[in-house]
Amino acid sequence: MRMEDSEELREALVNLRRELDILRIETTHANLLLSALDALLGANDDDDDPFKGVFAALMPVFEYEHAIVLIERGDGCEALECVASNHEALIGSAWPTDRLLQKALSGRILSTVAGSGTDTWPSGFDPEISCDQPALYFPLAVRGSRGAVILLRRLGQSGFDRSHVALARKFSLLASHAFAARQASLTQAESHRLKDLARKLEASQEALRFRANHDQLTGLPNRAYVGEIVDQMIGRKQWGEQLALAFIDLDEFKRVNDVHGHAVGDRLLQEIARRVKAEIRRNDVFGRISGDEFVIVLDPVGGQSDVAQIVERILNSIRQPLSVEGTEIRPSASIGIAFYPEHGQDYETLRRRADLAMYQAKTSAKGSLSFFTRDLGQEVDDRLVLEQRVKEAVAAGEFRCALQQKINIRTGCVVGFEALARWVDAAGVVHSPGHFLPTASRLGLLDEISAQVMEDLLQNLPALDAGFGPTIRYSINVSPAQTTSVPFMQKLLRRLSESGRAGRFILELTEESFAATGLFQTHVLPALRNAGVAISIDDFGSGYSSLAKLAELTVDELKLDRSLVSSIHRRPRNQIVLRAVESLGAALNMSIVAEGIETDEENRYLLEQTCIAIGQGFLHHRPQLLADLLGR
Amino acid sequence: MVQLRSHVAAGDVTADVLSELSAALETAPIEPDFLCVFYGCMHDDEAIWAFVRDRFPDAAILGGTSCGGVMSENGLGGEHSIGLLLVEDPDGDYGTAAVRLQGNAADCAERALHDALEAAGCAGELPELIWIYQAPGQEEAVIDGLRRVVGDRCPIIGGSSADNEVAGDWSQLGPEGLMRDGLVVGVLFSSGGIGFAFQGGYEPSGASGVVTRVGFDAAGESGIVTKAWGRQIISIDGEPAAEVYNRWLGGVLGEKMTAGSNILTDTTMFPVGVDVGKIEGITHYLLIHPDRVLEDGVLSTFAAVEEGTRLFSMRGNKSNLVERAGKVATAAISMLPGGSSSLAGGLVIYCAGCMLAVGNEMPNVSRAVSASFDGAPFLGCFTFGEQGAILGRNAHGNLMISAIAFGK
Repeated sequence: MRMEDSEELREALVNLRRELDILRIETTHANLLLSALDALLGANDDDDDPFKGVFAALMPVFEYEHAIVLIERGDGCEALECVASNHEALIGSAWPTDRLLQKALSGRILSTVAGSGTDTWPSGFDPEISCDQPALYFPLAVRGSRGAVILLRRLGQSGFDRSHVALARKFSLLASHAFAARQASLTQAESHRLKDLARKLEASQEALRFRANHDQLTGLPNRAYVGEIVDQMIGRKQWGEQLALAFIDLDEFKRVNDVHGHAVGDRLLQEIARRVKAEIRRNDVFGRISGDEFVIVLDPVGGQSDVAQIVERILNSIRQPLSVEGTEIRPSASIGIAFYPEHGQDYETLRRRADLAMYQAKTSAKGSLSFFTRDLGQEVDDRLVLEQRVKEAVAAGEFRCALQQKINIRTGCVVGFEALARWVDAAGVVHSPGHFLPTASRLGLLDEISAQVMEDLLQNLPALDAGFGPTIRYSINVSPAQTTSVPFMQKLLRRLSESGRAGRFILELTEESFAATGLFQTHVLPALRNAGVAISIDDFGSGYSSLAKLAELTVDELKLDRSLVSSIHRRPRNQIVLRAVESLGAALNMSIVAEGIETDEENRYLLEQTCIAIGQGFLHHRPQLLADLLGR
Repeated sequence: MVQLRSHVAAGDVTADVLSELSAALETAPIEPDFLCVFYGCMHDDEAIWAFVRDRFPDAAILGGTSCGGVMSENGLGGEHSIGLLLVEDPDGDYGTAAVRLQGNAADCAERALHDALEAAGCAGELPELIWIYQAPGQEEAVIDGLRRVVGDRCPIIGGSSADNEVAGDWSQLGPEGLMRDGLVVGVLFSSGGIGFAFQGGYEPSGASGVVTRVGFDAAGESGIVTKAWGRQIISIDGEPAAEVYNRWLGGVLGEKMTAGSNILTDTTMFPVGVDVGKIEGITHYLLIHPDRVLEDGVLSTFAAVEEGTRLFSMRGNKSNLVERAGKVATAAISMLPGGSSSLAGGLVIYCAGCMLAVGNEMPNVSRAVSASFDGAPFLGCFTFGEQGAILGRNAHGNLMISAIAFGK
């Protein structure tokens, strides 16, 4: 799944991080509690000091300098006695029960900040202790008497925080039980109970470890754990041995989520996990590394053909239709494969390369598999070079406007032009949008390119008017992201208005833009209407084609997607769709434009079998740069 | 056992509203240890203070004005509303203290925190959460002062008191009465645990630039704080800041680019943000709300910026701001030690700027929060600045939403 909405991604990451932090903290706490409990229960005879082990167990998390265990003396004395400490000189010292100790004795756990006002601590020890040291107090009940533990950090060290307080709360309870049991010489029943407690803790620690390493939805190893396992597998490899890493990405998964909801999406992921598990071998590793991305590590493997065989089997299994809550879904996945050691020496490199191969598969044919090759690596390098060149081209203002005629196919008259972007590099080479637009879009440079193309067109408008007349209308393409960007649209509108010819422009928006039109409808559309700018839906029939949206929006023009027009004369089903769209357009008072007319047969069909008047395509006119069009 | 109740009443005459609240309090009396009171700025705040003082002499009191009134589990109260949130927690400790922010605001805040801890009977103890309400203007210094004592070991959550027109008609209400330029600090040691969250609902829109010069709008007596840190952004990437910002917005500020223009409402959907850290490579932002254009293209903001900081142009939309409130409440609840089943109720701070941007969809905001709190009592106020812990660090930002959830 490619999360388009970065807010959603950010939130998912924060939640994941929070959950992982909680798991990590809980696991650490469970470990610490187990060790401390072991130390208390494991000290067998009276000579053993159980606290030595406890102090050692607490140290890694609490990072204290001194630990002090104080117990009520029970002889009517107000002061507490230090019965254990890693600062041996303190043992036996008397501690007045001040306000903070009183709170700890009554069950409170507290961390100090400066200004506690405590100044009754015993003194004269080497090294000296100070009540200004950051401290954590917690209760330690011993059968029949109350006690407290004080952990002290060094002066200047940061104080104890909320997570320390939470851990101290757990430790306080367990240690009180364990300490009480020891004092009572460990009756069998108590010993049994404590051991039972320790077993439960171990089980919960195991469960926590599983949760930390596995994806909760599918039960598969998660990203971090897969990486760990694969690196271990690689570490065990001998010279000449190889393994294969297959990167699986479900096709159109986002659409499943959007259309059918997350519950159906989750159910699909679980089913895919089940199917793939059934196809792989016992020693292979299968994990889910994010949304709809899975990884399989095939080990051992022979050559490419062995791997291809297994992966084809997996693809076939994934392709089986699935029914979820009455909805039939036909899943498919694209898979990329990289080999150790040929394509990478570690998990991260192998994953990245298999990911690249997966993109290759997805681009050439969704639902297929592709192996990583050195050429593919080269493609990535090429992409980086292209990115740099596009950035430089934007900075140098190398983007120009090309115009393609929209003509009345019944009269042959030019009725308008569609403005298209072309990159004319320093060497005079003209690059088509297919070459640079995906890169520019990824780099966030579309707005700047649109501005350059627009400027080129506006500056040449007087000459165009002179050549083609003042009634010709110009269509401008606006991307979905631009449509929903109020500042972009406002800027565009302002520029059109400044030209004094706003009413001569048609904005071509894709159906995708209309899927999320909140801001557009409230902030932009009214202003466009006021200025006289017309709206066209571009590539109609290739996207959502929501009739509800069509009814909701007041649109002036529908441009039929070229896939509908292509070979229309010999595709009866497309002919039916075309007729339906035509009558829809007539009913909603929208002009219909047929795009992508490339052959005489297509043109003839439109002329003879439809009422469509406006057409556009290579048959009638190939886009020309303005200078060429104006004969300069 | 922690119990919460919220009561909201509204009307033009303060005495009538207080009578109504008084009657409501009789219906399900609890003895609050901690009391929050927020109200629309047109109310007679002296009467409100007298009412809460007489009615709850033993409670730690904290409150102040809220832009456009308050919200609760029963919806929006309207701009003439007064809201009370009562927290009864016999096993917890709560204390509040107030100080006027005169002189060094950081010192004032530090002093007030110690006083609040003293009032709670917890001098020298790290509270579970610090809750602050203050006059707008010196929030960063206030946070600095509080952090001197607690660092980032406990969350500092709060808001800047707000009126309806940014006309200075705000007040803060503490244990000793009202202030117009003050800070109220509350320390919470809850016996049922506390969850909290602090988030914004905006995304970067692509453009960014480095702050190359800032100035300081002298507030109070402190004058210039440092050369490198302030609420007036003079230049971004060496160009007048307002021009750069207007360019990021596609020129929407138009004729408001003249000195002295208030751009608060124009920029609520398009604030700037600063990078506060990354999780898994994804940047998180603290938001800053530009409020005015000054002489020479200087951009005035509601939060301080440091020279050398990269500012990001941010973009919001209504539906995110509506949903975000509920999500923040849910995030706070999820932090409770006992999870959502232990929820007793909560407090919500929603930026007044977001409220203006959301406009007539505000009822959906209160509905979203109510749904997250699952009907449990809460009180929400609308502020001119929000404070909270973001990625583990206490900070002041704008256009943010905070929530705290009390466990039972």
